[in-house]
Amino acid sequence: MRQASLLFLVRRLLQIVPVVLAIVALNFFLLRMAPGDVADILAGQMGHATAEFTQQLRQEFGLDRPLYQQFFIYMGKLLTFDLGVSHLQQTPVIVLILDRLPATLILMLTSVVLAVALGVVLGVAAARREGTIADSLISVLALVVYATPAFWLGLMLIVLFSIKLDILPSGGMIQIGAGLKGAAYALDVAWHLILPAATLALFYVAIYTRLMRASMLEVYGLDFIVTARAKGLSETAIAWTHALRNALLPVVTLAGVQFGHLLGGSILVETVFGWPGLGRLVFDALLQRDLNLLLGILFVSSAVVVSANLVVDLIYGLLDPRIVHK
Amino acid sequence: MNISKFLTLAAAGLIAGAAASDALAQTPKKGGTLTYTYQPEPTAISTLATTAVPVALISTKIYDGLLEYAGAAMEPKPGLAESWTVSPDNLSYTFKLRQGVKWHDGKSFTSADVKFSIEVLALNYHSRGKTYFGNVTAIETPDANTVIIKLKEAVPYFLKAFQPSETPMMPKHGFSEQEIAEKKVRQAKIMLEPIGTGPFKLKEWKKGSHIILERNADYWKPGQPYLDQLVLRILPDGAARAIAVEKGEVDLAPMTALPPAEIQRLGKLPNLVSSQAGSEGLGPIMWLEVNLRDKPLSDLAVRQAISMAIDRDKLVNVIWYGMGKSARGPIVSGNPNHFNKALPKYEYSPVKANKLLDDAGYKRGADGVRFKLTQNFLPYGEEWVRQAEYVKQELGKIGIQVEIESLDMGGWLKKVFTDWTYQLTSDFHHNYSDPTIGVQRAFISTNIQKGATFSNSMGYNNPKVDELLKKAATLPDGPDRKKIWDDVQKIMHDELPVIFLIEMGYTHIWNKRVKGLIVNGISMYSNWDSVWIE
Repeated sequence: MRQASLLFLVRRLLQIVPVVLAIVALNFFLLRMAPGDVADILAGQMGHATAEFTQQLRQEFGLDRPLYQQFFIYMGKLLTFDLGVSHLQQTPVIVLILDRLPATLILMLTSVVLAVALGVVLGVAAARREGTIADSLISVLALVVYATPAFWLGLMLIVLFSIKLDILPSGGMIQIGAGLKGAAYALDVAWHLILPAATLALFYVAIYTRLMRASMLEVYGLDFIVTARAKGLSETAIAWTHALRNALLPVVTLAGVQFGHLLGGSILVETVFGWPGLGRLVFDALLQRDLNLLLGILFVSSAVVVSANLVVDLIYGLLDPRIVHK
Repeated sequence: MNISKFLTLAAAGLIAGAAASDALAQTPKKGGTLTYTYQPEPTAISTLATTAVPVALISTKIYDGLLEYAGAAMEPKPGLAESWTVSPDNLSYTFKLRQGVKWHDGKSFTSADVKFSIEVLALNYHSRGKTYFGNVTAIETPDANTVIIKLKEAVPYFLKAFQPSETPMMPKHGFSEQEIAEKKVRQAKIMLEPIGTGPFKLKEWKKGSHIILERNADYWKPGQPYLDQLVLRILPDGAARAIAVEKGEVDLAPMTALPPAEIQRLGKLPNLVSSQAGSEGLGPIMWLEVNLRDKPLSDLAVRQAISMAIDRDKLVNVIWYGMGKSARGPIVSGNPNHFNKALPKYEYSPVKANKLLDDAGYKRGADGVRFKLTQNFLPYGEEWVRQAEYVKQELGKIGIQVEIESLDMGGWLKKVFTDWTYQLTSDFHHNYSDPTIGVQRAFISTNIQKGATFSNSMGYNNPKVDELLKKAATLPDGPDRKKIWDDVQKIMHDELPVIFLIEMGYTHIWNKRVKGLIVNGISMYSNWDSVWIE
């Protein structure tokens, strides 16, 4: 059994490599299909530029070579984990990504953890009171929050807490120029994190609540719950020890998918709150045709998505012993 | 004392007191931090990497130009160069450099740096370097404080070249010989870790969040700059930027950094100032670019009809929230030296436009359509989309069916300037401080070049205009040159190589406590060494 699991793990890990490489290759050619390149963008930014000037830029960036050559040069470097240099920012892509990663991780992890915890509790609560006013209230609220655009919600939270009440900062990750260190710095970040994390978490809470409720109701209809009730177990014990474990599978799947998206950050929330995460980096890179940067981010995020899927598969086995990896 | 005399005296006292406090308030105060916001974030800190607005905004506080400039007409005045003389034939310029100026790393600024900044950097890497210095035959440095620049032909705007955004003075020792030889200047470390002679030094750049510049204590102007710190806050969302300005977290949003609707709203708040002054040296102008290779756009009557069908005043007031005024030709009316005041306003008359098209033989079909055109727009934001929709609606009224096509910047640049496959598109240019730099590029026939951005994409070729433009490029400013530019403007006003629409107004919004921002025609690209906070 243990050996079988290990074999499964090795096989899945080996599968990751070709999948990620295929994604990179696809990205490389797809991104080239968009009209215009970074030399056009740069020349455009500079106002009038001659055709020679633009061509000089292309030479500098190696964009004047045939596409297949550019591709093999890129893949060659990638195999040595060299993601290249951002054309526009003239900084190694990996530096730019690592620079933004902490901000994205803090924001996404806080909101996803918050959302899963709250979503599970609310979902279970609603399912246990199916058909009551409490259930309807939770479901309707979840629906309303789910239907509210995140950027609008964010702006409204800013208007309320930052402008009207003036108790929270309107944006950014730290108090600029304060030069805080250690615990004071952490507190400052936490202070700035409240509104963006709440905005993002509210959206996810709605999803998890609805998912959890539906999943719980499905499990409640199964025979083993009837057996548990017949044994005289309390409803609380049935819900939290018997039903929950079984009902968690779809939630884990969704959390896994979301973890994969973690790297992409949330462009909208980052934009509204001026949060210096990866989402904005992707967006700006795309608009400015900064292909090296874009490919680098897509490479890292595809690796994370594929890995997250693997982890989800493994957690399945832990939650439900009937799932055996072969 | 009777009551009226008492009141008079009291009023006089009040006025005197107010005047005194006003004078007091105008004495610059040292210290404080000025926070500004602009989107997008700069990609480098040198206009050699790119002259994009965000880069020019920040790099001009770190790098000085050789000269400084005063007033809307951008009159040159001493800066890093203490004085200069021009030979009678305008072919030789001798600059005497200020002594004792230090780079941010403590090394001395010398004539070798000036020569390097022009010969190696500006000429090869700045997008307008060849425009300014293409005529230079030699740069001599007889001693550490003297620079002599020799020209092949006289260039009327030569002294305008030494603005900090156009020809930043950069240290020769900031680049390795290898970087120069391999043309890796844009990749040099100094692009991200600048060393200038300017009033501010880079302290911290947290990508995606902020940039902090700190006061250069060794700045060559004694007692200046007044500010301790200059902070750029990066706030990607327009509404969030407006909120930060409204709350006072940000002191300044320069060059229309806020959405026009927000500008209109914030401009009315008592603690904020909204102003369009201080951009005369840039002269932003917007027009509808037309592909003259395409029938029926090659027909003057069609262009006249399009021009008449668009209500420019309405465009300014409704779409652009009053920011700007209707254009009358290629040069903005705020240009004190070159604008032709005799140009009339363009007429708005859909009735006449319809008649023009009828007379020219463009009959309406059964569906009321005479012909179809596609329209692109600059992907700079919502207003540009709305403008495209407005143009579509107005042209529809005169029987021209317009289809709007949306592209992002990369796609738009390629379609308009490389492929020339557009028909109509909004476009936006700067006049800069001299029309030979800012206007000529879009209309001279030698600039019909595939891949040259913001150039003559229309394929406009008028030998008479070419001749005048070439002549104007060598004459010194004065009545003769003015006459030539007047003629050029008149021809273009009538011939409509593009449909001139709006002289755009860059609107700056700042907190009332910020003083001394508007100093010349490129105030936001000036070094802010005399800006202070009350």
